[in-house]
Amino acid sequence: MTRALAWIFSGVLLSCGALSSSARAQYAVEGQSNLWLRALLDVRLVSGGPDPSWTDGGPGKMRYGGSFTDRGLQRATRVVMSQAAVQVGAFLPWGVRAQAQVNIEPDIAGNYQPWLIEATLRKEWGDERLGWGLQGGVMHVPFSLENTGPAWSPEYTISDSALDNWLWEDISLAGAEAEGWYVSGAGVRLGALVGAGYGGDQIGRLLALRGWVVGDTLGGINGDLALPTPGQRTNIFSEKDHQPALYTWLSLGDSGKIASVNLGVIDNRGDESTPTVWHTHFTTVGVTLSPYRRVDLLTQYLSGTARVRAPANDSSLSAFYVMLSYRFVRQRLSLRYDTFRIHDLDGGPSTSERGHAQTLAYLFEIGLRQRIALEYVWMHSHRDATGSLNPTSDGLQLSYRIRY
Amino acid sequence: MYLHLFKARLLVLLALPLAAVHAANPSVSGSVTGPDGSAVAGAVVFVQTPPAAATVTPRTMAVVDQVNKTFVPGVLPIAVGTSVRFPNHDQIHHHVYSFSPIKTFELPLYKGDDAPPVVFDKVGVVRIGCNIHDWMSGIILVLPSPYFAVTGADGRFVLEDLPNGTHVLVAWHALSKLKPEETAQTVRVPEAVSNVNFRLPLAPPRPRPAMHGLRP
Repeated sequence: MTRALAWIFSGVLLSCGALSSSARAQYAVEGQSNLWLRALLDVRLVSGGPDPSWTDGGPGKMRYGGSFTDRGLQRATRVVMSQAAVQVGAFLPWGVRAQAQVNIEPDIAGNYQPWLIEATLRKEWGDERLGWGLQGGVMHVPFSLENTGPAWSPEYTISDSALDNWLWEDISLAGAEAEGWYVSGAGVRLGALVGAGYGGDQIGRLLALRGWVVGDTLGGINGDLALPTPGQRTNIFSEKDHQPALYTWLSLGDSGKIASVNLGVIDNRGDESTPTVWHTHFTTVGVTLSPYRRVDLLTQYLSGTARVRAPANDSSLSAFYVMLSYRFVRQRLSLRYDTFRIHDLDGGPSTSERGHAQTLAYLFEIGLRQRIALEYVWMHSHRDATGSLNPTSDGLQLSYRIRY
Repeated sequence: MYLHLFKARLLVLLALPLAAVHAANPSVSGSVTGPDGSAVAGAVVFVQTPPAAATVTPRTMAVVDQVNKTFVPGVLPIAVGTSVRFPNHDQIHHHVYSFSPIKTFELPLYKGDDAPPVVFDKVGVVRIGCNIHDWMSGIILVLPSPYFAVTGADGRFVLEDLPNGTHVLVAWHALSKLKPEETAQTVRVPEAVSNVNFRLPLAPPRPRPAMHGLRP
């Protein structure tokens, strides 16, 4: 099934490419459609384990893990379709831009149901030096420094850090945001964004019950994610108390584009008196540095709390990563160190966890549309609730990605 | 001291012939307007077919910058044979490409000044874009000679240093409903010409809304 889908998708992509070229008059400007379509397909050879992944109901903390066998937990190697994404957009009258993205992530969703990743309308006023904008619809908070690649994929590695993976898997809101930006005469860029959105009543539940994981999940508003208890899943979008989450994102960059500092704060304002509603808030600080023209250094820290009236799963959350990435023409080599913690706050069933991970990734772009990437992740995570099932995991992924 | 004086005099002597040449080639100026007489800014007036005797020495390097997810300038006229650099002064990566038949190229994800220059060796229009940010769009207008000028906000242009001879001038604009050859006008140099006027009906602009905000 996965392979057949991959072939069909590739055929569609190639057909679209063939239609895009035609001869033009010498000084005629090629027309630009007000509609655009983009697609991305990521097929991987993965080997991981020995513990089965959380997506399979196991204690594994990576997207692809091992398997349960008669001989116990074993490493597993297989070919998978990791992501099929379709983005559509339109340039509407009055300078409004519409964009939507759906993803199929079979191992995450447990089926081939498309997830709506985003659907937004956006309008900006001003220019690149001074302006402001409004955006509304279904969207994720813009706190991740890593998910800046095509179709919101991680740009520097195959898998996100634990921190940014959680931001993209668990927080999908329906709301609106406003932002403004200003570039001074000296080139210093200031930006401020404030937003409000519904659907965040379960933010934090996944971390408290499952813990931090390394992966590249893009959560959809109509999706749900596996919990450790067999058969249980948590909705990504959930609104019960009718109180919108509030968030802000502040950015400061230097004139030489060498450094930027970003601060994000979100409070889902969950009403703890409403059953099963989580009240989660956190702050994240991120820094990007480009001290040399081919070198990127990213680091980000997150700290916050997630509380719920019952059961007693109140937790404090923290995560940190630092990544060094070197790019040379079409190639990129990235090395990342992750560390993460969860502290149980109320003495109930322990949600405490501590762990760390190292990621080494090599990416090679082929032309405009294709990429081959190889990534190795080594991870150790100790979770009190998992008992003796706290093996050290590692995973290897060879990814082939094509996009149109 | 004497050496400096000698150098200064030598420079003056060397500059005189250049000044004489300049003086011998008066400028050609005029305007580009719409059918209603309103000024058309950003139009490019160029010599369609330079005289065979004219020595064409294209500017060796031009630049299309990327600032806050925008190509700057949005339209870059160059002479055929010119190299163009595409520095990226954004904090994020861009992936510049063109599928135009005149010049097909791509510069994979990069930041800073790391992309090699691209030589444009055929005359025509090249539309450039970013593979990540769809609204980013720019035009490189590759012209047969370095004799071109861009109209200002008042719609006026000045063509300097045209070589002696008869020249066919044409006007181009990204939104023009006319082909450049349909606007052709003939001028003779060294006669000074200051009233070459073009009328260009323009299609309504359909700009792609940009995204300058914090989201990548």
